[in-house]
Amino acid sequence: MTGTPPPPPATLPHPSPTTPAGAPRPGGDGPRPVLSVRDLRISFPSEAGPVEAVRGVSFDLLPGRTLGIVGESGSGKSATATGVMGLLPPSARLDGQVLLNGRDLVGLRDRELSRVRGRKIGMVFQDPLSALTPIFSVGRLLSDALRVHQDLSRAAARERAVELLDLVGIPDPRNRARSFPHEFSGGMRQRVVIALAVANRPAVLVADEPTTALDVTVQAQILEVLRTAQAETGAALLLITHDLGVVAGYADEVAVMYAGRIVEQAGVRELYRRPAMPYTARLLAAVPTVDAGERRPLLPIGGEPPSLVDLPGGCPFAPRCALAVDACRTQEPPLRPIAGHGTVACVRADDIAAGTLDPVTGPTAAHEQPGDAVDIRPAPEPAAPGAAPGTAPGEVLLRVDNLVRTFPMTRGALLKRRVGTVHAVNGVSFDLRAGETLGLVGESGSGKTTTLLEIMGLRRPEGGRIEVAGTDTADLRSAARIRELRGTLRIVMQDPLGALDPRLPVSQLLAEPLQAIGRPRKEIRARVFELLRLVGLDASAADRFPAALSGGQRQRIGIARALAVEPKLLVLDEPVSALDVSVQAGVINLLAGLQRQLGLAYLIVAHDLAVVRYVADRVAVMYLGRIVESGATESVFADPRHPYTRALLSAVPVPDPERQRGRERIVLDGELPGTPGVFGAPGVSAVPGSPGRAPAAPVGCVFVDRCPLHRTLGPELRARCRDEHPGTTPVPGRADHRFACHAG
Amino acid sequence: MLRYLARKTTGWLLMIVVATNATFFLASWFLDPRSDYRTLRPVRTEAQIDTALAPYGLDPRQPVVDRWWHWLANIVLHFDWGSSPTGIAVNGEIGYRAVVSGELVLLSTALSVLVGVSLAVWTASRQYGWGDRIAQTVSVVLFNIPTAVMALAVVFVAIWLNQHAGMRFLYVAGENSPGVTGFWPVLGDRLLHLILPTVTLTLIGYVGYHLTQRALLLDTLDADFVRTARATGLTRAQAIRRHGLRAALIPTATSVAFTVPAIFTGAVITETVFGWDGMGQYFVETISKNDVHGAVATAAFGAAMTAIGAVLADLATVFLDPRVRVS
Repeated sequence: MTGTPPPPPATLPHPSPTTPAGAPRPGGDGPRPVLSVRDLRISFPSEAGPVEAVRGVSFDLLPGRTLGIVGESGSGKSATATGVMGLLPPSARLDGQVLLNGRDLVGLRDRELSRVRGRKIGMVFQDPLSALTPIFSVGRLLSDALRVHQDLSRAAARERAVELLDLVGIPDPRNRARSFPHEFSGGMRQRVVIALAVANRPAVLVADEPTTALDVTVQAQILEVLRTAQAETGAALLLITHDLGVVAGYADEVAVMYAGRIVEQAGVRELYRRPAMPYTARLLAAVPTVDAGERRPLLPIGGEPPSLVDLPGGCPFAPRCALAVDACRTQEPPLRPIAGHGTVACVRADDIAAGTLDPVTGPTAAHEQPGDAVDIRPAPEPAAPGAAPGTAPGEVLLRVDNLVRTFPMTRGALLKRRVGTVHAVNGVSFDLRAGETLGLVGESGSGKTTTLLEIMGLRRPEGGRIEVAGTDTADLRSAARIRELRGTLRIVMQDPLGALDPRLPVSQLLAEPLQAIGRPRKEIRARVFELLRLVGLDASAADRFPAALSGGQRQRIGIARALAVEPKLLVLDEPVSALDVSVQAGVINLLAGLQRQLGLAYLIVAHDLAVVRYVADRVAVMYLGRIVESGATESVFADPRHPYTRALLSAVPVPDPERQRGRERIVLDGELPGTPGVFGAPGVSAVPGSPGRAPAAPVGCVFVDRCPLHRTLGPELRARCRDEHPGTTPVPGRADHRFACHAG
Repeated sequence: MLRYLARKTTGWLLMIVVATNATFFLASWFLDPRSDYRTLRPVRTEAQIDTALAPYGLDPRQPVVDRWWHWLANIVLHFDWGSSPTGIAVNGEIGYRAVVSGELVLLSTALSVLVGVSLAVWTASRQYGWGDRIAQTVSVVLFNIPTAVMALAVVFVAIWLNQHAGMRFLYVAGENSPGVTGFWPVLGDRLLHLILPTVTLTLIGYVGYHLTQRALLLDTLDADFVRTARATGLTRAQAIRRHGLRAALIPTATSVAFTVPAIFTGAVITETVFGWDGMGQYFVETISKNDVHGAVATAAFGAAMTAIGAVLADLATVFLDPRVRVS
């Protein structure tokens, strides 16, 4: 709503975007805001007392502009969105003002609010899989949404629904309107949710984490759709997300929330160029980036966000802030305008904005957790392929050769008929040496996790060979031998809360793997504390239960548990995807430190390419069960050769508005086949939109249906892409970097 | 759809045939009509008894297969389900009692579902509120009252009301009053007689629907799609009704379809208290009086009701959830 993004608004002196304390802005001061939130306060009852989720949030939203609200889980950003919509649960308490075109929505009854919702404000939700009523066709859902507010005939509403589906980019909208939500993939469903939100041309759109549940290439598509829908309706957008990259590329103005309050609000460029609130600065320093921007070490924010029950006085960020002075701890600083910046809630904001105080490093970072102590150094640069710095090129710990795993596709309720085969993993080969990290990346359904499970299974694979520490898994006959080998490789799960038994204290959790291999009790006890130290946790954590730990601490326990029996190889399945940015950096650094210290080999599966760039020495990009490109991380990220890798990398938003808006972006069409509604499955030639046809076995390149390059090729090469599986070609000059494309 | 129905119906018909014939053999083995005659005075000889039973196809001297064949042939050729050991035609009894029970059961089931589901919607959207708690308590208490006690309580209340009103408008016995003629008077009279047994059956029957439907609804009440529906401009109540309830109704619809046959023959106590000659009473009577044909016909009736219930359940599911494709 203010600031510099194109097109610039009326040439006005920086209007204070957030008028503190209440009063609506006087008229005649530029475009009037469509939505003004004043001192919004939301609290939820809990057993420990009221949880003050939102504590006095104020902002203005100008027509056609986008305000991004960023924050970590528990910062109150979603509660703000639901509060604005009037969709809070009945037990929640809501105070303050939500002025929509001057009319206060707070205190309105449900019936009155329902006349506003959908007509004046539309909302896009996070999880498209559950956001649509399963028993209605999408055409019906849309025409119902239209007919709630407009006096339309059934036929006219249906016609308009088809237009809306067309607007959000659903192919063949007339026929697809008859389909039910479960017949659509996640991305397509999110398009329907957007269509529902803009159906009645609302003046304000609220999008609560609209792309969080989606793959990056789909995320890019959905953001485009949102842009189109916004352009079409002229709506102002309140974009709520935890992803600093999404906001950088999309929003005009950004508000950063912490502990239920906005702590900094400014134009997107100012905010990212020189954040004036230490929290924002630390957040930006903690987030890994995927592009070729400056490669910097990740600086985790120590500690955890505060609990919102009985918040002590003072700035809630002070305990984690390197710049905190005594004044910070006594009184919570109000949001105040800083010249040339926006508004900031920090006593030292003037110094920071003036550039005399570095908000990230500050004087010292003495309160860092022990495990983070090694962090401030840059992540290891891959000096030579196959070897991490500091360790000699180690022995090969894991060799996967032409691994194949298929699943039968069956149809029929009682008598199952096999109608096809899903090639979940199709000829995957790689090896992993001691001290090295291999990142397996790809979107959901690409076969990453299946590959991991096949390796963890320690069985003869369906096709190909798996060798763990020099032993072919097909030769494992005795249970004792299998158990012995299990000691060399261990897995760390994605969701630490699900992976740890909630009824066991940490000491038991860590002792369990040691008891299983029959270590003496005394040794186990000593080892438990050693492990806690190793992952940077206090010895007092030993007596606590997983539920009493924060997400980051839990994941540290997960890692410690995996390390208990001193494995040589750690398999990490999305190790940080469940964690907040500020915590994630700490775990990433911990992993890097442990690797240097213990000479571990990591096999990491992650969908977040930025994370992989920070932790992996080498990456392998998977698509539909095949590795389409592999090589040293920097080589692949700096010079991707396969069109899929290029598209994938360009789709990851970078948390820097200048770089993000200047980047060349390849928005892929369609989605990875295998998700519902996109018929066909990993490794099966996809036939989108024609459910029911038995999929044929894959012959050509797996990416051919979505390949942007393929369309530009000559007929001869196009035929080759369709009919011939591309072998891997090395990139000249870089021995380890290989890709599988006919056109490269 | 029609093909599916035809296939289902054929399957159920086969099932009814098998079940009914099996019941015939079981009943023939376990029920002995001669014992009814043995209590008569003067004492009849065994031969006399057998001869008396012969015209009804119940002569025990005949092999059971022959009796069965005779019985089956009569049903297939004349739709004659035989007669009781005293010669009363089963067809007439069932025809009359099915109508009596039908009045009772269909009305009370419809009311139970209506009351139960509405109460469920009302209480689920006020979970843990005072309304919810009171309704729950009432339901649980009613659930634990035996039918006989409930029926008698209803009778007492009715009598008290009658006395206070100074006229008899609530009938505590019988399904109609003797001597009423003309279409409208008969209809009115029957409806008045219907009130109390229907109230009793509804009070017993609604509780299950209330409690299960409330639990089912709570699962969908906070579902994301209900929130989406509210975001498009429906009130909370509308969103719950249009989006939440429909999906949550499917298990209830199935259970309704299958409980109808059970109440048809299971409302014995209510029928007895209010002096209605319904199917439930008939079933008990036929067994206690060693009425082989009557018992088998009741079983066949029950099987037919179950089949109808099952097909209705399928139809209801398809109607409620269009994703279900029948083929």
